[in-house]
Amino acid sequence: MEYIDNMPSMDLMRSEKMTFVQLIIPAESAHRAVTYLGQLGLLQFRDLNAEKSPFQRTFVNQVKRCVEMSRKLRYFKDQMHKAGLLLPPLPASQPDIELEEIEIQLAEHEHELIEMNANSEKLRQSYNELLEFKMVLQKASGFLVSSSSHTTDREVELDENVYSNDNHADTASLLEQEMRSELSNQSGVRFISGIICTSKVLQFERILFRATRGNMLFNQAVADEEILDPSSNEMVEKIVFVVFFSGEQARTKILKICEAFGANCYPVPEDTTKRRQITQEVLSRLSELETTLDAGLLHRDKALTSIGYHLTKWINMVKTQKAVYDTLNMLNFDVTKKCLVGEGWCPIFAKTKIQEALQRATFDSSSQVGIIFHVMDAVESPPTYFRTNGFTNAFQEIVDAYGVAKYQEANPAVYTIVTFPFLFAVMFGDWGHGICLLLGALVLIARESKLSSQKLGSFMEMLFGGRYVLLLMSIFSIYCGLIYNEFFSVPFHIFGDSAYKCQDATCSNAQTVGLIKYKDPYPFGVDPSWRGSRSELPFLNSLKMKMSILLGVAQMNLGIIISYFNAHFFSSSLDIKYQFVPQVIFLNSLFGYLSILIVVKWCTGSQADLYHVMIYMFLSPFEALGENRLFWGQSVLQVVLLLLALIAVPWMLFPKPFILKRLHMERFQGRTYGILGTSEMMSIDDEPDSARERAEEFNFSEVFVHQMIHSIEFVLGAVSNTASYLRLWALSLAHSELSTVFYEKVLLLAWGYDNIIIRLVGLAVFAFATAFILLMMETLSAFLHALRLHWVEFQNKFYHGDGYKFNPFSFALLADDDD
Amino acid sequence: MGFVVTSLIFAVVGVIASFGAGICCNRGPSTNLLHLTLIITATVCCWTMWAIVYLAQLNPLIVPVLSEGE
Repeated sequence: MEYIDNMPSMDLMRSEKMTFVQLIIPAESAHRAVTYLGQLGLLQFRDLNAEKSPFQRTFVNQVKRCVEMSRKLRYFKDQMHKAGLLLPPLPASQPDIELEEIEIQLAEHEHELIEMNANSEKLRQSYNELLEFKMVLQKASGFLVSSSSHTTDREVELDENVYSNDNHADTASLLEQEMRSELSNQSGVRFISGIICTSKVLQFERILFRATRGNMLFNQAVADEEILDPSSNEMVEKIVFVVFFSGEQARTKILKICEAFGANCYPVPEDTTKRRQITQEVLSRLSELETTLDAGLLHRDKALTSIGYHLTKWINMVKTQKAVYDTLNMLNFDVTKKCLVGEGWCPIFAKTKIQEALQRATFDSSSQVGIIFHVMDAVESPPTYFRTNGFTNAFQEIVDAYGVAKYQEANPAVYTIVTFPFLFAVMFGDWGHGICLLLGALVLIARESKLSSQKLGSFMEMLFGGRYVLLLMSIFSIYCGLIYNEFFSVPFHIFGDSAYKCQDATCSNAQTVGLIKYKDPYPFGVDPSWRGSRSELPFLNSLKMKMSILLGVAQMNLGIIISYFNAHFFSSSLDIKYQFVPQVIFLNSLFGYLSILIVVKWCTGSQADLYHVMIYMFLSPFEALGENRLFWGQSVLQVVLLLLALIAVPWMLFPKPFILKRLHMERFQGRTYGILGTSEMMSIDDEPDSARERAEEFNFSEVFVHQMIHSIEFVLGAVSNTASYLRLWALSLAHSELSTVFYEKVLLLAWGYDNIIIRLVGLAVFAFATAFILLMMETLSAFLHALRLHWVEFQNKFYHGDGYKFNPFSFALLADDDD
Repeated sequence: MGFVVTSLIFAVVGVIASFGAGICCNRGPSTNLLHLTLIITATVCCWTMWAIVYLAQLNPLIVPVLSEGE
């Protein structure tokens, strides 16, 4: 054991040692100190003002200013996005600007932009109105031509009117008579002209008809162009209408109905020359407005571009300043109101760097008083911090997704780096598909620098983040593919000749009795003769099921051994004696024995039925084995192992709670005399730092139930987890079968024809099916199942995972919440 | 080539890889230990896989029975 303790420690295995620190900062250097600490990114502040609302905190005004500024910045970004301008990339170096200067500039720019937008709104509205007026003039002149310059020739008039108003034939004749008789009478027949959306015109007409009791004439024509509807920002079709009516009451009614339907009314003069004049005016005003609008747009785009040049930098500055003020809000003013007191966690190796940063802050803010930085004791458990690089980060995130490691417990990520891609490959094994995955991973890694600076979609981001996982997965897949001897489901004779040949030269009974094995087994992997034979599946199924059990028992044993090292690290001999030992005995006397039986059966070629052996080991252990006997002394060994397993269950269930209770009694027996000499006794317990919390309460029933749950979980889990590893067999079978089907039923079938088109189509279908189903779906599926095997079957042997992650105050880690 | 010989080959490859990693990517004792752990784990996994498949074919209980058309 001393050898193990003397080995250099592996940083990734257990969390960095963390310490709880207290900072006392004089007020004038506070802002600068927090900024430098943010740049360093190695201190996690604890919120000392957690019970206060955001408005009760000290720096609430500054935070409000920052929030306001970021709102303005978002508005600018929005406007630029709407105008279709792109943000230029951040220039390399720029001089630092003060926050107040930014605030003033932002206010100016916002004011300018809002004004410009309002103006262009108004201009656009007038433009729309003029456009509508123009259309009304154009179309209405068609209706009014008939009613103006005709004094004689009433039959012609009548015909014309009837022609244009065929749906109001009855009313037309009456109205026409009235019109003819009072043609020049101003208070007689009058008209209202306007424009309305096409969708509302039928209802409009109907209601007008009812309101005027049929005493009206409705003409309509579709406008030539579509008009931009300001509320919905779409182009809508509009219809020009002219309503002829008589009487003042009718006029008010019609006007109200127009208003209700959102129809815009424009006065059209009856006189043709006047109409022509007005049309000319409208057209000239329209072209003026167009140029004005274009000029306005250009001006706004220029303003936006000049803002955009600085925008990214401003956004970053405002974000960092807001973060600094939020952190300052977490600190407390001390009694004299001249200093800020802060508390937090930092890794021990970072202490010197932090002290350096604080000294620099004192110097830069020309403060007379230095910043005090000292270590304190903490009641709660420290956060967990693993220093990962780009390669190990992905695997650590996979482990953390299930639960962050408790402070200083063993980190499963160390083994996951290899076992996760390995188990993936066991389920994916095909070296052709592995090569495709490898190419994908290499592409991602080669374009690493370019892709990491871009903003990627969520799927691409996940894929890019896991590029090293993908690389390892593909390398192991190539290895397992070589072992399973599958290249897009085709076996090759890479490692020599097959070990099987026909019984005689004519191969007459190859399809009934089969080949015979005439030399040593195929040196590397599955013999290529198996592929396509009728007994392929029975052989491969047996092989892969047994392989799954062996791999599963190995990984579970690794998990239990890691729990031993955890118990050794936390100096908990109770855990070693009453948890590790019975667990190892139970698992190995049953499933370790099964693994040994499998290997023995393979080595001796016996025909024993292992199902039978295992089941009857429990049902009738004293019965003779007969033909299922694999080695001498097997019956005795089985009885012994069964007894060991039976003893192991109460061994892991009962002693620990009773001993814990006894220890608790001993420790707090002389409570009236104070807690004497507790250091030795506390080291026996599980968690030395939280033992002080549990000072008063020792709920025996709770501890006992907890232990019972843990033991039952282990005992039942031993069976279910071992069976769960059979998914390695299941997925590998599914992959192999899918691959075979695509190869034989698509590619070979298409290749059988002589036609090149059918061959190309077959090749294309094969490529698509391989890419989407095998490379994407199967990869995800095997990834998921390998992940589950790690999270549940491997980690529940030793992992607590109830810690919390070290989350330092760092500018580099500020969340990008704009997007 | 025999079970023992190939297992020895796996062991030798593992040892060479460990030394190679120690020589070319020497980044402090903790990282070296991590690399060593990874290489040993990978070697053990690969050897296990090979050994299982090899042992299963040592004394097989069934033989390939060709299907029609071969």
